[in-house]
Amino acid sequence: MLVHSKGGRWAAWGLFGLLFLPLFALPLLVVVAASFATHWSGAFPSGPTTGNYAAAVRGESLQALTTSLVTAVTASLLALTIGTWAALAAAGLKKRGKRCLDALFMLPVAVSSVVVGLAVLVAFSRPPVLLNGTGSIVVLAHTILVTAFAYQSVSAAIVRLDPAYEQAAASLGARPAHVLWRVRLPLLLPSLTAAAGLCFALSMGELSATMMLYPPDWMPLPVRVFTATDRGSLFGGSAVAVVLMATTLLVLLAVSRVRTRASYR
Amino acid sequence: MSGIRFDSVSVAYNGTTVLDSLDLTVEPGEVMALLGPSGSGKTTALRAVAGFVRPLSGRVLIGGRDVTALPPHKRGIGMVVQQYALFPHMRVEENVAFGLRAQKAPRAEIPARVAEALEMTGMGAYAKRYPRELSGGQQQRVAIARALAIRPGVLLLDEPLSALDAQLRSGMLTELARLHRELPEVSILYVTHDQVEALTLADRIAVMDRARLQDCGTPQQLYRAPRTEFTASFVGNANLLPVTVADGGAVFAGRPLALDPGRAAPGSTATLCVRPHLLGLGEGPNALRGTIAEVQWRGSTHRLYVDVDGHRVKADLPELRETPALGDEVTLHFEPRDAVLLSAGVSHA
Amino acid sequence: MPDASGRAATQNPAPAGPSAPVGVAVVGRAGVPAVAGAAPRGLWGAAPQGVRRALWVLPPVAVLALVFLYPLALVVQQSFTPENGGGAFDAYASVFASASFREALGTTVWLAVGATAGCLLLGFTLALIIAFVPFPGAKAVARFIDVFLSFPSFLITLALLFIYGTVGMANGVWTDLFGVAEGPFRFLTTPWGVLLAEITYFTPFVMRPLLAAFSQLDTAQLEVAAGLGARPARIVRQVILPESLPALAAGGSLVLVMCLNEFGIVLFTGAKDVTTLPMLIYGKAILESDYAAACVVAVVNIAISVGLFGLYRVVGKRAGA
Repeated sequence: MLVHSKGGRWAAWGLFGLLFLPLFALPLLVVVAASFATHWSGAFPSGPTTGNYAAAVRGESLQALTTSLVTAVTASLLALTIGTWAALAAAGLKKRGKRCLDALFMLPVAVSSVVVGLAVLVAFSRPPVLLNGTGSIVVLAHTILVTAFAYQSVSAAIVRLDPAYEQAAASLGARPAHVLWRVRLPLLLPSLTAAAGLCFALSMGELSATMMLYPPDWMPLPVRVFTATDRGSLFGGSAVAVVLMATTLLVLLAVSRVRTRASYR
Repeated sequence: MSGIRFDSVSVAYNGTTVLDSLDLTVEPGEVMALLGPSGSGKTTALRAVAGFVRPLSGRVLIGGRDVTALPPHKRGIGMVVQQYALFPHMRVEENVAFGLRAQKAPRAEIPARVAEALEMTGMGAYAKRYPRELSGGQQQRVAIARALAIRPGVLLLDEPLSALDAQLRSGMLTELARLHRELPEVSILYVTHDQVEALTLADRIAVMDRARLQDCGTPQQLYRAPRTEFTASFVGNANLLPVTVADGGAVFAGRPLALDPGRAAPGSTATLCVRPHLLGLGEGPNALRGTIAEVQWRGSTHRLYVDVDGHRVKADLPELRETPALGDEVTLHFEPRDAVLLSAGVSHA
Repeated sequence: MPDASGRAATQNPAPAGPSAPVGVAVVGRAGVPAVAGAAPRGLWGAAPQGVRRALWVLPPVAVLALVFLYPLALVVQQSFTPENGGGAFDAYASVFASASFREALGTTVWLAVGATAGCLLLGFTLALIIAFVPFPGAKAVARFIDVFLSFPSFLITLALLFIYGTVGMANGVWTDLFGVAEGPFRFLTTPWGVLLAEITYFTPFVMRPLLAAFSQLDTAQLEVAAGLGARPARIVRQVILPESLPALAAGGSLVLVMCLNEFGIVLFTGAKDVTTLPMLIYGKAILESDYAAACVVAVVNIAISVGLFGLYRVVGKRAGA
């Protein structure tokens, strides 16, 4: 559309390949390749094995996987509830009120996750609420971090929602609660599932706040990858990382299937 | 002065031929309308001139020069599209100056030429506005000014009026005709699906259908003597009736009709084309008798649908004092010179 | 069957209950609100209901205040109350005086600025090609970018260890090619390694809003511009770039904030001499258990990133993003 000569087009594509492949495609390939190797000194990995995976779905790693899944699912559901509630309430406010709520709920995006971790650590290591040393402090931090994204995507969807639907419902005599339950939420369902997927993915990969907070018996996958590579076990760490990526992708895929079924427009 | 020539130009997308060996010449200073339904290949032909689609085979010539391999920016073409495509972040004057800057016109000349182009389209007072502050009609004038500012030898207009409402459209038609009188040296290729625009504006009309050129001629030729059924029904309204050619006339549903059979061989089948407004009510030469199936009042005229031997005939009559009732028996007639015989087989040639 | 129930909801809303306003059916074409301006508030009526609506805001705000704002406030409070006594600003004085803090601040800022600039340049180039010089598979690449966003950042550093590590791919190829004992690539544990990883990881965050902006752009504009004699470079500079500035600004400021706050990439690099503010917070709090100092650094970090984020919101508002 922009470049009309054949040579120009090939030059543009060549540039694209030159930038895209080594920067974005290669890293993922390399991690996958390393996860099947025992040795890497030279141009290519050597010593093909599936042993890394055998270790990655067993014992501590398996426990880390379940920990991550429980954390991510819990945090996503909590975040989705709070975020959706806040977004729906914000949509009913006047302009200034909405803007305040937007700023408030987007704030966790701006604050460094490490700081969120530190803050939660400082606040919940003392009475009245003592959570330090439990898994729930990790879940709590994840919830705070992903709520912002749930809020953002749901409120964007609410803005796009055609008011004609709720007006039609109201004109037919439906009370606000009924309009919310039978009209707005069903219409928002695709966006809600998308938001859930996003929250899940973010929580699965969360490392910064988790590093500040995790107790020994609640170690999620990213921390596991770090401890493995920190000990020098790069190949085992890669296998765990691939398990992490694969799980995230599988859940995202499942969510997008649900989403296509839920969108009837 | 530069004309356009399509030299058996074919274009295909993903194996589908969207323009099938088009041969067409637009003379310097001529307004050529490409008329056809959507998907007929008319826009593809225009885009081949502009350089946005590359012909599979054939050549495109502008001013006698083969431009087939030339990128769009080297062709020196003014172009106006349906949705105007004004640059939203530039003021009107910057929009108009864009082409001049792109073609490295002397800096000192630009303001005068921008003003001239805006004056010509009556938009001189809006130079400092942004496109979003203008109405649709005004945006269209700016788009035309932008195309004219580079003093193109060829102006491509792609459905330029179809985004306007009916009233504005007829105003802009008059305006375009005036502009062309002021710039007689510019060749214009005008793509439209609207026969009124084509008939009003064009020196010649090229009728396109299913990727092919069906017919080409002056508006009068196409209207009075269409060569194909497609042209007959697409340019103006037409009654198309199957007839058998006879000596000095034709036979329709067993009844002889007097008309000029031209070169059609007696005994062959053909299609009779007669315009609805050339039919008269009552007895006369070439009478067609039938029953009224539908009556529509259209203000100044009545449109009657009459079933004649199983064929529905449309007749546009000056407003009738007494509206006929459904089921009434009526007789329609037409003058021999008002009918045209289309020999069968031409339509899909 | 979410499908069927959803249809029922939009097509046959429930029979009018006692609260029904005397059957005023709104019939509007979908997409064209029947009563555009009055839309959201018209439904809910005047003040008393408005107040009741505002009450609905309280529960989520209360939760947020308890789990996020209150902890943040404690961090600020703690930064002014050193554990082993002393004046309110003692912790600040000692942190600001330390060379490690000033170095971390400098490193953080230049890394973030550099990475943002790199992301903008790279993201604009790649998005431009995907959108305007499309090739078979361009759509798949765009989807790959979306997937890329859902992976954690430290994966990139992990991958770079294999690619540019001392015994990694690049050095391996080099030694094989030239028959020397050691390859030249050893920037991984320097700030340049972090910069490369950050540019790689955050570029998709620039590309996504850009691709959205490009898809909104009327391609007829590009064609008309070319028809008027503009070369591709001029079209990019004068038509595409000005119209995508809002998206660039929004994406750029988001990436700037995220780079300032990035932790995983730096942690995985494992270099002693690359310390950013988040790393310093982690080190002070977890490794040294010096919470007062950690809180001081955290306050500085919050001030910088929240300030920038405010800017992002303003820019984003203006961009309509």
